[in-house]
Amino acid sequence: MADQPLEKAPQEFKSMLGGTKLASVLASEGALRKAAAKEDLVVAEVAEPSELGFWRLSVMRFLHHRAATVSLVILAIIILAAVIVPIFQGNLFRTQDYTHPYGAPFQFQSRVISLPVGLSVTIPWSDHLFGTDGLGSDELARLIRGGRVSLTVGLLATVGYIIIGGLFGALAGYYGGWIDNALMRLTDVIIAMPFILVVIAVTAAFGGVSLTVLVGVIALLGWFEIGRLMRAQFLVLRESEFVQAARALGASDARIIFRHIVPNSLAPIIVSATLGVSGIILLEAALGFLGLSIPPPEPSWGNMLSDYNDFVLRGQVYLIAFPAGALVLTALCINLVGDGIRDALDPRQR
Amino acid sequence: MTFYVIRRVFIGILLLFFMSAAFFALTRLTPGPPFSTGENPRAHQELVDRRLHNLGLDQPWYQQYPAYLNALVHGNLGDSYVNNVPVTTLLWQRVPNSVLLLGVSLIVSLLIAIPLGVFAATHQYSKVDTTTSVLSYVGISVPSFVLGIFLLLGGAVWLRHVTNGGFYFPLFGMHLNASTTDLGDLVWHMVLPVTSLAILSVAGFSRFMRASMLEVLHQDYVRTAKAKGLPARSVNYKHALRNAILPIVTLVALQTPQFVSGAIITEGIFSWPGMGLLAFQAALTRDYPVILGVVMLVAALTILFNLLADVAYAVVDPRIRY
Repeated sequence: MADQPLEKAPQEFKSMLGGTKLASVLASEGALRKAAAKEDLVVAEVAEPSELGFWRLSVMRFLHHRAATVSLVILAIIILAAVIVPIFQGNLFRTQDYTHPYGAPFQFQSRVISLPVGLSVTIPWSDHLFGTDGLGSDELARLIRGGRVSLTVGLLATVGYIIIGGLFGALAGYYGGWIDNALMRLTDVIIAMPFILVVIAVTAAFGGVSLTVLVGVIALLGWFEIGRLMRAQFLVLRESEFVQAARALGASDARIIFRHIVPNSLAPIIVSATLGVSGIILLEAALGFLGLSIPPPEPSWGNMLSDYNDFVLRGQVYLIAFPAGALVLTALCINLVGDGIRDALDPRQR
Repeated sequence: MTFYVIRRVFIGILLLFFMSAAFFALTRLTPGPPFSTGENPRAHQELVDRRLHNLGLDQPWYQQYPAYLNALVHGNLGDSYVNNVPVTTLLWQRVPNSVLLLGVSLIVSLLIAIPLGVFAATHQYSKVDTTTSVLSYVGISVPSFVLGIFLLLGGAVWLRHVTNGGFYFPLFGMHLNASTTDLGDLVWHMVLPVTSLAILSVAGFSRFMRASMLEVLHQDYVRTAKAKGLPARSVNYKHALRNAILPIVTLVALQTPQFVSGAIITEGIFSWPGMGLLAFQAALTRDYPVILGVVMLVAALTILFNLLADVAYAVVDPRIRY
């Protein structure tokens, strides 16, 4: 019977990946099979890794990429802070404290807190942990609020251009013909243009920039890379055997595209999209830096840096360092996560 | 080969034509006419209308386009709306400055990145390799304006103590005053912007060079050369490097638009009177002919460089035939 390989499998897996949870899952599965074998049922032999499924295995592989995992945690903290903290802060990011403009960061004074039980404790306290900007607004509140804008633009624009690029790429790759030619020529045109200049020209033409305009412009002008990638995937997969099999079974085009090809072409798209998010966040910051992103008083990491001349000449390094640090940290984490995802989804590329 | 080049040139011209149409439509279809920013808000409406009429801007874009195309074919990019100077004159003033800045930073970055990438690949997983890859990882995550600001900060504030108050590096412009053409002065003014542009390119190029070199080092002919008993230096630099350096040529050619994009911000920060600054100011004032001129120029250069790279590739690598 199929007893022996089934019993051995969990140990092999444990030594290979070192995941205890995985081992226990496999052990329970092995026990189940043993029970089935006792009742003399026929158990199909399956190659061990495939029992876990592609996505489970990818997650396991990702978690073994230490830098990527740490980056993911940091990124989660940044995103959670940007989503949750502003809810409780209300208008703090634009409350101006005229008595303390350009307040230095990390200035602690002792503050006595009386507890309800009659005790009182003295703790170090800072009204403005990261100092204040030229108008006396709290820098930390602005930083967190600004993260909201940067991350929203990054994520929404990426989703937008995955949808547009994915759709066009799929159609071009699957059907070929004039739509394919049109896509390729259009991509050639866009690739030869300096992207940021085009975005500046279009956003400047819209006059007042809003979140919608920003996301729309970036998504409409930035989908070409994804489109090409999707097209390349479709060109390969269209001719593959499982698609031929599906076609022979009489599946419709829509079913072949969405059930068979799309799930198999997702891996490079996900990697490219992840790296795209960091690219867009940096692009938004550059636009904000040039004064073409969300208008003040709404802060974004880019437009917090747009008054850099003042800060440089006054030597207020912290007003530059905090938004710049937030920007670089976020972009770095996203890039590392993207790298981790690439290694996890396609281990051959290492 | 000749046929291939002719075909490519033809396709390139066609591409430029499409691009001019696309960008023309893009600028004309966006809401808001020119002169709605940067002009006197109390300007008489009739005067504004007359000016729009004189420039032919009161017609829809598909009627304006043939006139533009006709002028373009005759080498005329139109006049700037803002300062009434032919765009070609403006470009002639600004492009050499940009070429100087971008060319020097490109050469500097290649001179650093190629040896770095080669060393990292030949000493894979060594300390230098890991340090390089970590640094280049950070490098590609740093936006150019952040780097520019910190260089400004370093040159302006932190080095102030060295020179007793004055700025150590000149922060703005190309020359101390417009009349000097002193070479030393020019070089001194280029230090910060070139550093800013080069650091970012080094990050990208060295990663690419390392990957390319590693790929070549794992090929059979390199193993054969090693098996023959050739010294490592000869294998690395004579056999491997020659093939590994080829893809860099294409990369540099493909990166032309990105260079210009990076230059827009760097030129802005350091007030370098180049093409990027011109385009940025034009975009803010909706000076369409100038934007279009810069975009067309960059596109033409990109197409030209790609063609040159492909031809150079075929010349250097006899396996490639067109």
